[in-house]
Amino acid sequence: MSSFTDRADGALADRQLKIAIERTTGTAQAKRAVAVAAFPDFEAARARAAAIKDHVVANLGAYLEQFEASATAAGTQVHWARTADEACAIVIDICRAAEARSVARSKSMLGEEIGLPHALAEAGIGRVETDLAEHIIQLADERPSHIVWPALHKTREQVSELFRRHHRTPHEGEEIAAMAESARRHLREAMLAADVGISGANFLIADTGAAVTVTNEGNAELSLVPPRVHIVTAGIEKIVPSTGHAIHLLRMLARSATGAALTQYTSFFAGPRRAGEIDGPQEMHVVLIDNGRTRMREEGLAEMLRCIRCGACMNHCVVFRQIGGHAYGGTYPGPMGAVLTPALDGLTANRDLPNACTMNGKCQEVCPVDIPLPTLLRGWREKSWREGLEPTATRSGINAWNRMIASPRLYRLMSAMGARALRTVSRGGWISRLPLAGGWTRHRDLPRPPAGGTFLDQWAKRRR
Amino acid sequence: MSAREAILRALASPIQADAAALAREAAMLLAGNERPPLAAESVTEAFLANLSLPSIGATHDRIASMEQLPDAVARYLAGQGEPARLYLPPDPRLDACDWSAVERLPTVPMDGGAALAIAVAAVAETGSLVLDTATTAPMLPNFLALHHLIAIERARLVRWLEDVPLPSPPGPRQRTWVTGVSGTTDIEGQYVRGAHGPRFLHVVLIG
Amino acid sequence: MTERRTVALFVTCLVNVMRPRIGFAAAAALEAAGCDVVVPRDQTCCGQPALNSGDREGAKAAARRTIAVLEGYEHVVVPSGSCAGTIRAHYPEILADDPAWLPRAQAVAARTWEVLAFLDEVCGWRPQGTRLAVTAAYHDSCSGLRELGIKRQPRRLLAAVDELRLVPLEGDETCCGFGGTFCVKYPAISNAIVEEKAAAIEASGADLLLSGDLGCLMNMAGKLHRRGASTRVFHTVEVVAGMADGPAIGEDA
Repeated sequence: MSSFTDRADGALADRQLKIAIERTTGTAQAKRAVAVAAFPDFEAARARAAAIKDHVVANLGAYLEQFEASATAAGTQVHWARTADEACAIVIDICRAAEARSVARSKSMLGEEIGLPHALAEAGIGRVETDLAEHIIQLADERPSHIVWPALHKTREQVSELFRRHHRTPHEGEEIAAMAESARRHLREAMLAADVGISGANFLIADTGAAVTVTNEGNAELSLVPPRVHIVTAGIEKIVPSTGHAIHLLRMLARSATGAALTQYTSFFAGPRRAGEIDGPQEMHVVLIDNGRTRMREEGLAEMLRCIRCGACMNHCVVFRQIGGHAYGGTYPGPMGAVLTPALDGLTANRDLPNACTMNGKCQEVCPVDIPLPTLLRGWREKSWREGLEPTATRSGINAWNRMIASPRLYRLMSAMGARALRTVSRGGWISRLPLAGGWTRHRDLPRPPAGGTFLDQWAKRRR
Repeated sequence: MSAREAILRALASPIQADAAALAREAAMLLAGNERPPLAAESVTEAFLANLSLPSIGATHDRIASMEQLPDAVARYLAGQGEPARLYLPPDPRLDACDWSAVERLPTVPMDGGAALAIAVAAVAETGSLVLDTATTAPMLPNFLALHHLIAIERARLVRWLEDVPLPSPPGPRQRTWVTGVSGTTDIEGQYVRGAHGPRFLHVVLIG
Repeated sequence: MTERRTVALFVTCLVNVMRPRIGFAAAAALEAAGCDVVVPRDQTCCGQPALNSGDREGAKAAARRTIAVLEGYEHVVVPSGSCAGTIRAHYPEILADDPAWLPRAQAVAARTWEVLAFLDEVCGWRPQGTRLAVTAAYHDSCSGLRELGIKRQPRRLLAAVDELRLVPLEGDETCCGFGGTFCVKYPAISNAIVEEKAAAIEASGADLLLSGDLGCLMNMAGKLHRRGASTRVFHTVEVVAGMADGPAIGEDA
C-alpha cells in the first residue's frame, strides 16, 4: 500500500496531471471570484449559512425525525444505516426486490464513500454512470479525484483516448463538444433502460420530505424519472429545515463551486409518482446514512458537518493544486478531505493528511459556511501527538526545542551557537548543502546568518 | 437496537427543544436573508436579462395571449431549421389552441426533437423556470428533447426564489427549476452545451 | 508634549538568529515613530513549532512563559505576522480552559501587534525622508493576512518611501509553501509551491521582493537564488526604517 508521500511524489512528477489541475482549478477560482464580487452581502450570507447548518447539526435528531415523517407522508420509504456496509446492503436489497439488472447513477460522493459501486458489482448489478465525469472514471476504472469535477485529473487528450476505445460511435476530431456528444449518444439508451435510479442528495428538506439534487447536465432527471424505483443515499447531515433554508444554501453552493448563480437543474423529489401523474418511479426510497457523522459531531468535528460539498477549498489549496486528488488516498480530497478522511478511515493510516498543510487559511476564507479547516486540521495533529503517531524525529525535535526555549539563558546560548555553526558551513551569503536539513537545501539555498551574533546579544552589547 | 434507534440515541441531547421552538429558531435564522443584486429593476426585465446571459443561453419571445402560442412555436422551429412538429403535454390550455400549423407528437423521440412545457412560475433573480409534474405534465420530455420550449404567463413571474409559491400538500412528485440549457464543464473545466439534456431553451412569455 | 509609547519588541527566533537587522530596523522605525523600545531579555520562542506540531501542552507551556515575560508592557510589537498571530489569535484559544491564564492571555493578546500594523494604525506614522528608487513586489504572508488582517498597512507605509514603486505580483495572496515545519516535512510539495511563487516574482520584473515574515522571505529568497534570479529580498520594516541600502537577505558575507 503506497504512502501519502509516494502518491504525492508520483503526482508531482505527472506533468499531464498538473496541466489538468491548473486548467480546471484556475477557471474555478476566477469564476468564483467574479460571482462573489457580484454579491455584495456574500460575507453576511456566509455567516448565516454557517448558522443554519450549526442549528441543524445541534438539533439533528429532531430534524431527522421530522424529515422521516414528511417523506413518509409523501410516499417515500425511509431507511436508516449506521455504517457503509449497512447502507450498501439496504440498497442492494431494494435493487434485488425490484429485480434490477442495471441501475443508473447520478453523481454522489456519498455513494463513493460507502463503496456503492463495488457493492453493486459484487451483487452482479450493472451500473450506468450518467454524470459525464463519473462515466469517464468508470471507463478508466478510477476513483474521483475532486468532489465537483471527478475527472479533473484527466486532460482532454486522455478522455478522447478513453472514448475512442469504449464508445460505440466515437467522436471525430479533438473538440470537447464532440466528446460530450459521443458520451450523450453512448449513455442515453442504457440510462433510460435502467430499472433503478440511484442519486445522492445535496439537501434533504425536513418539512416537505424532499430530496434535492443539483446538476448541470440533466442526468439526474434523466436517470430518476424513467426507472420504477428511485433510491436516494444521503448523509444524515444533509438535512435543512425548509425549502427557504435550502434556497439560501443553494445560493452559496453554485457560486462557490462554479461561479454560477444556480446550476442548470435544481430538482426536488418528494415521493413516488402521484396518482394520475404521467411518469416517475413507483417507489422512492431514502437511505439516511451515519457512517461516522454522529461520532464526528461528538468528537469536535461538528463544524465539518456544515460542509455543502462545493469544492472551493480544494480549488484554492496550494497543496491540492500541486498533488491533485488521488494522492489524498480517500474518498474526499483537499482540505475537507484532510479533515474527513481520518474520521472515516482512521487517523493512523492517514496522519499525513492533516500534516501536509501550510496552515495558510485560504480554504476557510473561501468556504461558504466558514468551516475552520485549519483549526480542525490542527485538532488532528494534536490527536496524532497524544496518540504517539508522530515520527520519533519530530517528537524529539519538538521536545528538544521546548526544553531549550524554557530557559532564557540556554535559548540565548544555543541561538548564538547555532548562528556560528551555520556560518562555518557556508560560503558567501548562502548555504546550498546542509546535513540534517536536506529537506530545505535539496530544493533551495539557505541564507547564512550574518557575523556579529544574534539580535539579543547585539542589543545587550549596544545597550550596555 | 435498530439503526434508527442507534442513530437517534447517539444524537439525543439533554435539552430537547420542542418543535415550535425549533421552528421559531429556524425561521429567525432565515429572516431578512441576504439576496444578490437583480439584473434590472423590473421583474420582467431582470428575468429576460438573465435569460440572455451566455451562461444561460436561452432565447425568448413575447406574445399577448395563449392563442398565439402555436405561432410562436412555429416561428421558433422555423428559425432553428427544425421541422414544424413537437411534443405537447396533455394540458387543456394547450388543447384549446389551434395547432394546425404544427404537428403534435404523441411522444418525444429518445434524442432530438422539440418539447413544450408550461411553467408554474419563473424567477427574475436567476432566470429560472419552475416545472412541476402533474396529471397534465410529464417530466421526461423536458430532458429528452434537443429543443426545450417553455411557456410562462407574465403574472407568474416572481422576483426571488423564495417568492415561488410552494405547492400545497400533497404536492407533485418532482419540481425542477430550469436555469438555462443542459451543459457540462467536466472535461478540463470547459463549458459545453447539451450534455444529456436539451441544448436549446426557448422561453415564450405570455401577457 | 505627546507622551512616548513604551513598546516591548518580541524579536522572534528566526530574526534573532538569521537576520538581526530586521530587529534593529523595527527598533529604529518604532523610535522614529515616537516609541521607546525595550527588548525583554528573557524572551524566547512563542511556541509556534509545538502548536503546529500538535503538542498542545508544549505550546501552552511556551504561551504561559511568553505571557509572563510580556505582560508588564503596554504594547508588544513583533516583526512577524505568524508569531504575532500566535500570540494574538492562538494564546487565548489554547488557554481557554485555564481560568488563571486565560485573562492574562487575552490581555497580552489585545496589546500585541505585528510591527507594520502597529506603525501604521497605532502610531499613525509614515517614513520621512526615506528614498529608494527601485520597483518592489509585495507578498502577503498568510498568517499576517488572514489571522491579523494585514494588507493595506504595509502598502500605506511603503507609499511614503520616495520613488519606491510597487508593481503587481500575480498571486500575491497565494501561500509561498513555507508553512513552518511543512517545508522540511514535505519538501517536494513545498518546492513545487515555491517554484510557482518564484516564477511569479521573476515575471513581475520587480527589483525587490518584500514581505512581513522572515520564514516566507527565506523560503522565497532561497528559491530565487537557487534559480539564479537577481531579485533582492528584504523584510518590509527594513525598507521603511531606511535600512534597505544595506545587504539584502543572503548578501551578508
